[in-house]
Amino acid sequence: MVDLTRAQESPAFPAVARPTVAWGRPKPGFFGLLLLSVTVFYIFLPMIAVFLYGLATTWTNHVTPDGYTLAHWRDSLADGRFRVVLGRSLALAIGTAVLDLLLVTPAVYWQRVRNPRIRPVIEILAAIPFSVPYAVIAFGLLPLSGTYAPSLQGTLWLLLPAHAAVAFSFAYWAIDSSMAASNVVGLSEAARTCGANVATTLTRVILPNIMPGLASGAVLAFGVSFNEVALVQILCGNRFETVPLYTLNLLKSTDADFNSLAVMTGITFAITLVLSVLVVSLNKGRAAAGGTTDAKGAPA
Amino acid sequence: MSHHAQATGSGRYTAAARTLSIGERAKALFVDWSLALPLIVMASLLLIAPALSMVWSSFAGEDGHFTLANWAKTFSSAASQHAMENSLLLAATVATLSTLFGTPLSWMISRMARWSRSFHLGILNVAANFSGIGLGFAYVAALGTYGMVTLAFQNVGLGFTGLPQSSFTGLVLAYCYSNVPLFVLLSLPVMSLLRDEWWEAAQTSAATRWQFWRYIGAPVLMPFILADWLLIFTWSAGMYGLPVALVGEKPGAFRLVTVEMYRSLYGSFFGDHRMPVYAVLLMCLAAVSLLTNRWIMRRGTRWLT
Amino acid sequence: MSTITIEHVSKRYGDKLALDDVSLNVHSGELIALLGSSGCGKTTLLRAIAGLIDPSAGRILFDGRDVTAVPTRMRPIGMVFQSYSLFPNMTVRQNIAFPLKVRGQSTAAIARRVDELLALIGLGEWADRHPSQLSGGQQQRTALARALAPDPAVLLLDEPLSALDAVVRLHLRDEIRRIQQSIRTTALLVTHDQSEALAVADRVVVMRQGRIEQLATPASLYETPTTAFSASFIGNRNALNLPVRDGRIRLCGTIEIATALTTPRALVFVRSEDVRRSNDASGQAATIENRIFEGSTTRFYLTIPTDDGPLHVKADWPSRETDELRSGDTINVVIDPRDAHVFPG
Ligand SMILES: Nc1ncnc2c1ncn2[C@@H]1O[C@H](COP(=O)(O)OP(=O)(O)OP(=O)(O)O)[C@@H](O)[C@H]1O
Ligand SMILES: [Mg+2]
Repeated sequence: MVDLTRAQESPAFPAVARPTVAWGRPKPGFFGLLLLSVTVFYIFLPMIAVFLYGLATTWTNHVTPDGYTLAHWRDSLADGRFRVVLGRSLALAIGTAVLDLLLVTPAVYWQRVRNPRIRPVIEILAAIPFSVPYAVIAFGLLPLSGTYAPSLQGTLWLLLPAHAAVAFSFAYWAIDSSMAASNVVGLSEAARTCGANVATTLTRVILPNIMPGLASGAVLAFGVSFNEVALVQILCGNRFETVPLYTLNLLKSTDADFNSLAVMTGITFAITLVLSVLVVSLNKGRAAAGGTTDAKGAPA
Repeated sequence: MSHHAQATGSGRYTAAARTLSIGERAKALFVDWSLALPLIVMASLLLIAPALSMVWSSFAGEDGHFTLANWAKTFSSAASQHAMENSLLLAATVATLSTLFGTPLSWMISRMARWSRSFHLGILNVAANFSGIGLGFAYVAALGTYGMVTLAFQNVGLGFTGLPQSSFTGLVLAYCYSNVPLFVLLSLPVMSLLRDEWWEAAQTSAATRWQFWRYIGAPVLMPFILADWLLIFTWSAGMYGLPVALVGEKPGAFRLVTVEMYRSLYGSFFGDHRMPVYAVLLMCLAAVSLLTNRWIMRRGTRWLT
Repeated sequence: MSTITIEHVSKRYGDKLALDDVSLNVHSGELIALLGSSGCGKTTLLRAIAGLIDPSAGRILFDGRDVTAVPTRMRPIGMVFQSYSLFPNMTVRQNIAFPLKVRGQSTAAIARRVDELLALIGLGEWADRHPSQLSGGQQQRTALARALAPDPAVLLLDEPLSALDAVVRLHLRDEIRRIQQSIRTTALLVTHDQSEALAVADRVVVMRQGRIEQLATPASLYETPTTAFSASFIGNRNALNLPVRDGRIRLCGTIEIATALTTPRALVFVRSEDVRRSNDASGQAATIENRIFEGSTTRFYLTIPTDDGPLHVKADWPSRETDELRSGDTINVVIDPRDAHVFPG
């Protein structure tokens, strides 16, 4: 989940003209409307199917389910494995967000106020998870951890840093742009002339000013981690089942239970929705239309 | 060392650094990087080291010595050739479709009134995010054998038995679900580069709508559209969760590079040697795409600066 | 060459009337200057003539033919936009060639015409640059050349000289006039510079809040403004707010103006060069508060004591004849009542 507009704005992108809303605002033509409605329909279709499957008693051969019930939601939410999986995914995603904030914020701050040479290094590192599939990173980590840290294999203690590493670029763009916007250099200099030390400057002056950036960085990192399946599956397999992996396993099993799959997918969907809304509202001030999306849509 | 210190800090530090001993300079250097070190160390260990390790494995034989055998075997095997061709073909198809549908969508949305713009953006946003295993299931639930659409077709008497989810068409449809919206989100900021006043100026120059797009709209947007195509292409080629959910282990199913990699986790039916080669190929694709992207952006924005 | 008839044109944006029942007849081959303060609707009027906006009411006719519904590209116009609107992906040369190209002219003809225009605007050596590599003034000249390229019957110029330095500005101002007369195109020129308007225009339109305040030749506008707004807009005028008593307004001392006004106060406009020095006793004593050298003339800020309190007046006098005057000096001034324009206060 990343605000993709950043990806283009970042290094080589000059200030983008504010989106204009004039052009005499032509009504989209016939084909335009057709394209729009087909797209919206195509997007809604699977969502509706999931929603209905979550509420269906049985669904044999009608366009809509044979009957409706809340039983699947009740049963799923009462199911021990389901709860563990959901809790684990949330904990992992929150851990990733926190870790990324702890790692990225001081680095970006230092780069801005002290050492600009940090920037190209971070930019290169940030470009890796942006373009290299997570599966490739996961497959590379597997033998490495086997050789150098076998005890970490299959545990949260490998997965968490790995998620933090792939999610950090998105947190980085969010935090970096908010530091640029709030002019942290000027603020730090002002704080220093007032006699504040680095710690006081950070906690009392800088942090309050970059809060929106931190929040949207955390939301982005959370989203990456919550939807990620390649690293989870390749590094931990079923020893650490998260929501996507659980969904995958359920889908693969021969007696796939569509109804509880639908509940799980519905939850994923709801969380995705909430995160998207959060990112958009946190970025409200930005000119470019806020896009949030999964890392690349890809390796999730 | 002093050269370094000069390049690094502002004048304050520089002046001091010249008179410092080696130890003190090392300390200053450490302080210059200190707060960024945890991030740099961690990201290097978890992002660069695995990449290097994949490169190394792709050239390592079973005895641990350098060899080109892995590459040779991978490229000479019909199955791997198939997987690579399929992956590239699928990625190119998805990227092209995303561009064809995404560009006009993006254009329309960029010229919408605020509220309808937010509405459409919101929908696209969620769709772009909803791209992994969840989408895999949702797709099955809609278009699979017992999917809603399949049932609907059967109800009106059409003998449609669901799209084979592991067919090329099935995969293209599923991939497009998140990639078309992704393309729109990617290209939207660029659409606002195209200023309304240029269309007005073109009109006062007697240009038709077609001539405007031909001589101004397309040349201005083209580099960015190409760059976005390339990103979608790269991401599609590397997509993992969705194809694994849709294709999985089914023997004889559609071969894709990422799915083959997934199978190497469990299977011994094909040699492990191919996986690192695939990984390196995807990495190269990523690098080429990223560099080309930057280059196109620089060229595309040349006249803007 | 074409007449432009604007009949009762209004343009409404939300509850703001950008154009309020504007009617105007532009003769063939005439150059009309549009003057008015910022936001009064000058650009809106040009855009309506160009067809870039649809009037909310009213008609626009070219040569008697209703073009209100004719799309912009079918209108025989050339336009310079206030913001230039150059095509960023094209060089100067390509920008100028564009209107010719879309009209399907031959490459050779286009090249010839573009070279001609490049020479005219003096941008020959910049011909292969992109607009982003040019200064504001160079961009504006390119925009002018692009508008002139097809020899349009109607030329719409929205502040085409605003970004230029004084020398180039005067030169191009006269060039625009020369070209406009030689190809006998009908032109509307928006400007904020009254001297520009007076110098090049056949007639001047003064606009205010979406309405035409006055339409007149430069000379008559300068000599006899018909409204207080025109009077304050054209010429350097003193605006004096004075009481009316028994059909008379006392300017200062013994100088009085007879008036038919029935309002208690009047607004009296007197151009600063019409406040004259006098040496006889008919004059009125005035104190020099300040003097500002402006080249051939020097501006004096004067205070004239009257029964209704001090009157502050500015006067422009030739610098050569006023060397000896200093701040604090007291001199005699006279104002000829025939030079004053009186409006209800
Ligand atoms: N697209 C629009 N939407 C709403 N109001 C508009 C629009 N265009 C112009 N206006 C309003 O119409 C009025 C006239 O605008 P116009 O651009 O014609 O002014 P102008 O005389 O050209 O001013 P300037 O000298 O500053 O260029 C202004 O008050 C402006 O705010
Ligand atoms: Mg204007």
